[in-house]
Amino acid sequence: MARVKDYMMRSLNSVCHTDSIEDTIIYMHKTEMPILPVVDEENTFVGTIYSKNILKNIIPEQYGFINSQRILYDRNQASENLSEIKSKKVEEYMLTKTKSIAENDDMDKIAEIMLNNKESYIFVTNQEGHLRGYMSRGDLLYYLLNNSDE
Amino acid sequence: MITTVTLNPSIDREYFINEHKPMKDHYIYDSENLQISPGGKGLIAAINIKNLGYSDVQNIGFIGGKQGLFFEKMVQDHNITTNYVYTSDEMRNNIKIIAKNPPSNTMYNDYTYSVSKRSVRELKKRFKRSIRKSDYILIAGSIPAEVDFNIYQELINICNKLNKDVYLKASGEALNLALKVKPKFVAPYFKHTHKILDFKVEKKDDYITVGKKLQKKGAEYVIMPFHTNRLLFDKDGSIYMLSPKDYCIKNLLGAGDAYDASFFDYIFQNGFDFIKANRYAAAAALSIAENELVFLESRQQIEKNIGNIIIEKLEV
Repeated sequence: MARVKDYMMRSLNSVCHTDSIEDTIIYMHKTEMPILPVVDEENTFVGTIYSKNILKNIIPEQYGFINSQRILYDRNQASENLSEIKSKKVEEYMLTKTKSIAENDDMDKIAEIMLNNKESYIFVTNQEGHLRGYMSRGDLLYYLLNNSDE
Repeated sequence: MITTVTLNPSIDREYFINEHKPMKDHYIYDSENLQISPGGKGLIAAINIKNLGYSDVQNIGFIGGKQGLFFEKMVQDHNITTNYVYTSDEMRNNIKIIAKNPPSNTMYNDYTYSVSKRSVRELKKRFKRSIRKSDYILIAGSIPAEVDFNIYQELINICNKLNKDVYLKASGEALNLALKVKPKFVAPYFKHTHKILDFKVEKKDDYITVGKKLQKKGAEYVIMPFHTNRLLFDKDGSIYMLSPKDYCIKNLLGAGDAYDASFFDYIFQNGFDFIKANRYAAAAALSIAENELVFLESRQQIEKNIGNIIIEKLEV
């Protein structure tokens, strides 16, 4: 039986719940991760922060207007809104009811979770709940590809 | 868990060519003649520890730019848990040209990597929350530009507060300052100069004097490189000379890292014994040096060399 630990990325790239939104955005940009795991001071996985959620909080209306004046107005408004929240803590914008998986979980279970929750990343924890890495849709597809060859 | 710290890692690119001449272009068609690997003192030790069978080994440090993403993927291939603070600057590349005729080895080492204060703050926070489950912490290597020389001192301070033993492999001012917070094991190394604690060391007596000074300044145990030997300074004041016998060195790349990794391996398997741990570590280094390897592959290769390591107590 294939285990999560055989296919996961063992990366502890994360933010702490007390970190600022500004630090989080910079980190998302540098790591090219639109979603980051949130941990506490002991590296326990406590939730997830999505770039989409930050955007939702700063954009008054979604982009997509044909009127370019309106787009410009919205962009300026979004920048202003962001400067108001950038020093706020991650814990105010994170999702806490995030599904995580264990290193020793069966890979088949992951397919089910990813399909049902439409998650592009699922974070992996150990038995004590400490962050150990993540599994992406790409990792899942790679596992399925290996299976199809057998 | 074992944590290793590499603040100044690099992407190492080795080019194997026939002859290395100025104004001569080289074309490499065979992939065997171009090797790209992740480099950095603590990282290579982490890969060795992993190869010796430890399931949980993490490497903490800075990596930068788009090359940082590539570097992290390379490290992941060794099943090391990566814990990197991404910086704005691109990380370093070290280039080595290895020629056959005549045999030559030319290195172009990049020391341009720079890290912002924000990234240093982030690293310290990340380090504190990530070492709580670590049994040992190995801090090794140089530090990037713009990072204060007291960084190792600050990291060891965090370890001390959490009751974690530290093995420090450092040089220069970073080493001098780190001694103030009393790291348990200190293995100084020479970088560009032949100085430790700002003293030029040439003769055996100089090495002994400096080793004692390191202990006086805060190190509990000192493992001092002395040509192909090591001088071991025990906590009780005893000094030992460790030497390999009947050896034929083919390669020194990776030998020091194998030493550090195996030192921990011995302690994990057998409990702490400073002399025996060093004998085992030296046997590991010898197996790398004699076999043109970079990474340790198994404990068997270490054990067959233990008989070739001599340790003598010095009367000083």
